[in-house]
Amino acid sequence: MLFILAWRNLWRKKRRTMITVSSIMFAVVLAIVLMSMVNGMKQQMVDSIISNTTGHLQIQDVMYYDEPTMDHAMEYSQEVKDAAAALGDAILYTVPRIEGFCLASKDISSRGVYLMGVLPEKEDRMNELSSRLIEGEMFSSGDDFAVIARGVAQQLDLALGDTIVLLGQGFQGMTAAGHFRVGGILGFPLPDQDNTLVYLPLKEAQTFFAAPDRLISLILMLDDPTRSDQLAERLQQKLDEEWYTVKTWEELMPDKVAAFDARDAQVRVFAWVLYIVAGFGIFGTIITMVHERLREFGILLSIGLKRSQLALVCMLETLFISAIGVIAGIVAGFPIVYWFYNNPIALSDDLADVMIDYGLEPFMSFSIASDIFFYQGLTIFIIALIVGLYPVRKAFRLDMISAARN
Amino acid sequence: MKTVIKTSDLSKVYTNIAVPVHALKNVNLEFREGEFTAIVGPSGSGKTTFLNVIGGLDKPTDGHVVIDGVDIATMKESKLFDFRLRHIGFVFQAYNLIPVLTAVENVSFIMLLQNQPKKEMERRAKEMLEQVGLSDKLDVRPSKLSGGQQQRVAVARALASRPDFVLADEPTANLDTESAFNLLDIMARLNKEENITLIFSTHDQRVIDRARRVITLVDGAVDKDEHFERD
Ligand SMILES: Nc1ncnc2c1ncn2[C@@H]1O[C@H](COP(=O)(O)OP(=O)(O)OP(=O)(O)O)[C@@H](O)[C@H]1O
Ligand SMILES: [Mg+2]
Repeated sequence: MLFILAWRNLWRKKRRTMITVSSIMFAVVLAIVLMSMVNGMKQQMVDSIISNTTGHLQIQDVMYYDEPTMDHAMEYSQEVKDAAAALGDAILYTVPRIEGFCLASKDISSRGVYLMGVLPEKEDRMNELSSRLIEGEMFSSGDDFAVIARGVAQQLDLALGDTIVLLGQGFQGMTAAGHFRVGGILGFPLPDQDNTLVYLPLKEAQTFFAAPDRLISLILMLDDPTRSDQLAERLQQKLDEEWYTVKTWEELMPDKVAAFDARDAQVRVFAWVLYIVAGFGIFGTIITMVHERLREFGILLSIGLKRSQLALVCMLETLFISAIGVIAGIVAGFPIVYWFYNNPIALSDDLADVMIDYGLEPFMSFSIASDIFFYQGLTIFIIALIVGLYPVRKAFRLDMISAARN
Repeated sequence: MKTVIKTSDLSKVYTNIAVPVHALKNVNLEFREGEFTAIVGPSGSGKTTFLNVIGGLDKPTDGHVVIDGVDIATMKESKLFDFRLRHIGFVFQAYNLIPVLTAVENVSFIMLLQNQPKKEMERRAKEMLEQVGLSDKLDVRPSKLSGGQQQRVAVARALASRPDFVLADEPTANLDTESAFNLLDIMARLNKEENITLIFSTHDQRVIDRARRVITLVDGAVDKDEHFERD
């Protein structure tokens, strides 16, 4: 009966109920779209870091992270291969790399470059390296020519078929020296990469660095990135920790993680402003509702309805309104977010440049992760319920004589 | 006849205002089963205060209100809620009804709070609405009823649960003459037929002669207590 009472009370003033429902709905839609955008962009950046730089996990020599020199190249031993194999399907594939700074020159001009020794088919799987080719061809594992970034080519005036001379520090103090034919030119959006990268087939690079069978890192791409911490730990247990360390991308990129955290904090502040505004909106309608009905409350209490029963009616009303508002918000929010998910907003001019500078596609992507809907809906539902405590409190404190009189 | 309510040395002082008001002064009254009493007196004489105090809605400053052998003046609020629900029926001046419930649901409401069996409750609610002449308005909501009809539903509700007595504070104040007479006639008839003690306040001379006992309050004290024979 109290249930029926509460339900019918909702439709007594349809307009006001609709206003309250729409304000809750609006808050939910706003919160969902905001969070979807923020999480979508974050995911976009994280994906970019993972595929363009670190991968999900890396096995390295223990010393390398603190002292990144060729002397701390790790042995690509059976132990490492076994450890990775032991995780089975949890690892989609591995990407071996050997890399380091060296001096590149042609004739009398020279400049510092970053040499990457890679397996092209693995890089393609991870970051579609060969799709960046703008001239020439990509090497395959057995080839012996180099593929260089566009900026390096321009600065050293290298064209296809020219020879690039590389000079660097090899494993354990050996001098690394070699010359390679330029077989292809790659274009990178990020100037840092475009001006420094030189690629060689893994084997050639290992020979060049005098480090056969050694890698700087073995990248592991995971089936389920959310398990990275757990898998890193399992992997570490299988490896001699005197020699090998397993690092997650977060450990490899602490400043990026810090930047994300700072941004998350900003977003949270923004979200709370939204929640508070929504809370006050709901509060306003509830206060008017209560004051219009004080006399009714007084009479109900006088004839024998208990305060707790009246409070329950009020609570049920808020519950209904909030639930309808939140569900409507989720139902309305989903298609909006879904549409943006499928049609990312193309960014123009300045913003696009910023995104490109960060090595990202100049699109604003949205996330449709279900926890966004769940948490945003839940948060606003809880806020509405907290606001709904006002009439409940009123039910417990109301002086029925003066309420019934006025 | 059995005594339903007995007050002794009942006093009420309002101290929540600058000058304390003695709204009731040493009121000693007894109400017997089946009585039909009007409380009259000028505005501010304490009629509402008296009804609130004997109805357990307000606490006296001094004195006792004994109902069914229990002194409700010292009863805790939580107990009073239940006591009112079981023993006392109320009719207020206006806005008695729950707007979102139909007439028959309104009449059932008290019995529902008392957890009475559904079948019996419905039968009784219909019977009472018939008694007040509204058997054609069972499923109508209060907003579709006239003021007089609403008050009749309120009377039906107050009596439906067969309380020890019914208190009505100026039940006719918002009604036109015809509706006021009509309501009082219904109350008088139900008082007889259902043998339910009825106490109502009024300063409406037109309806006073419906009562068989008229108590006049002046400045919070009993000025006159007259009994009349009526048929
Ligand atoms: N809640 C209150 N606080 C303070 N004083 C009150 C309160 N209720 C009533 N009074 C005072 O107590 C006195 C009696 O009031 P009461 O309402 O009982 O009179 P009444 O006979 O019902 O009057 P009316 O015919 O106008 O309804 C009045 O002087 C009134 O001002
Ligand atoms: Mg009064």
